[in-house]
Amino acid sequence: MNRLPAISSDDWLVKVPQITLAFWIVKILCTTVGETGADYLAVDAGLGQGFTGALMGALLLLALVVQLRSSRYTPWKYWLTVVLVSVVGTQITDLMTDGLGISLYASTPAFAVLLALIFAVWWRVERTLSIHDIKTRRRELFYWAAILCTFAMGTAAGDLATEALHLGFTRGAIAFGGLIALTWLAFRLGGHAVLTFWIAYILTRPFGAALGDLLTQAKTYGGLGMGVMWTSALFLTVIVLLVGMEQYTLSNERRLAAGTH
Amino acid sequence: MPSLNFRCFPATALAALTLAAALVGCSKPADAPVAAAPSGAPAARVASALGNLSVFRAIAADVSALVDKNDLAGAKTRIKDLELAWDSAEAGLKPRAADDWHVVDKAIDRALKAVRADAPTQTDCKAALDDLLKTFDRMQGKA
Repeated sequence: MNRLPAISSDDWLVKVPQITLAFWIVKILCTTVGETGADYLAVDAGLGQGFTGALMGALLLLALVVQLRSSRYTPWKYWLTVVLVSVVGTQITDLMTDGLGISLYASTPAFAVLLALIFAVWWRVERTLSIHDIKTRRRELFYWAAILCTFAMGTAAGDLATEALHLGFTRGAIAFGGLIALTWLAFRLGGHAVLTFWIAYILTRPFGAALGDLLTQAKTYGGLGMGVMWTSALFLTVIVLLVGMEQYTLSNERRLAAGTH
Repeated sequence: MPSLNFRCFPATALAALTLAAALVGCSKPADAPVAAAPSGAPAARVASALGNLSVFRAIAADVSALVDKNDLAGAKTRIKDLELAWDSAEAGLKPRAADDWHVVDKAIDRALKAVRADAPTQTDCKAALDDLLKTFDRMQGKA
């Protein structure tokens, strides 16, 4: 039976957070905020899809450089990168679907193959896919490449569910939420920890999108009618709260640890 | 032993509660069944499962009227409302009938392109908007 991972002093070197409930909450909320933010810039602010895409791509590169150059895990840097990966991953799929007219029936399995390739190379080079051992620049690059691919694939899979299965956001939230619960159960029953992590990582993308839609969409469409502004404000508050607490606790611990050495 | 995980249970709990409160606070109206609104049109032709699109058609009609008056700047301003309204309703409308949604979406795209052209012409704008209005009517089973 799998338990939550034990912490060792080795973890000082790890560049990514531990996988906890808070990790998943922030990850899901980042998905929504990222997509809403990009959409706001492109449509409401009138910057257009092309310009917004280029801007977000540049910001992602910048955030990645900051994250990669950081000598240890720093919550705000890590999560800023996740938000931007979320935006760019979504935009890659949107561009392929709307811009290039590539069918979701083709792109969804293509992303799955690409993700499998990333894992295959990662395994060949490192002999481990463990997300608890992201300690070198090369492993970190594999990690972020895989994450970008899961966001693109999660977007395509979610859109495909809408198009092919007429899965609206209410049933979508239930369906993807159920699949995530099954994945968690499989993990607890001894399923492969790394495999279940990445499956959950893909599934939380469409789940986050459905959750966001459920809150923002008008009541006429079966949503809660909170609107984009209030939903984003709520999600951002929760993200800032959780990441801020993490940053605060971590800084305290590091200061204390430094004092006792 | 210092740990690097999110161990702040108060923060996690607070976050979960905030979300739960927001969901509960807003969930009541959503419990009411919201069926696809009838289009109100006599069912001479089969209406799309997209349901009532009159809000969007009304904005398109405004834009069309501005184009007829050759007020292309006014049309450009007004069509943004259509873009915003259509975009924000995507998650609600698309699952109802994705194929129909794409037909309307493409028609709106063409109208946006015509009205926002560097040098928009009344002829182009009128053609795109007539096509868009016809698309709406077809979806409502009126054409």
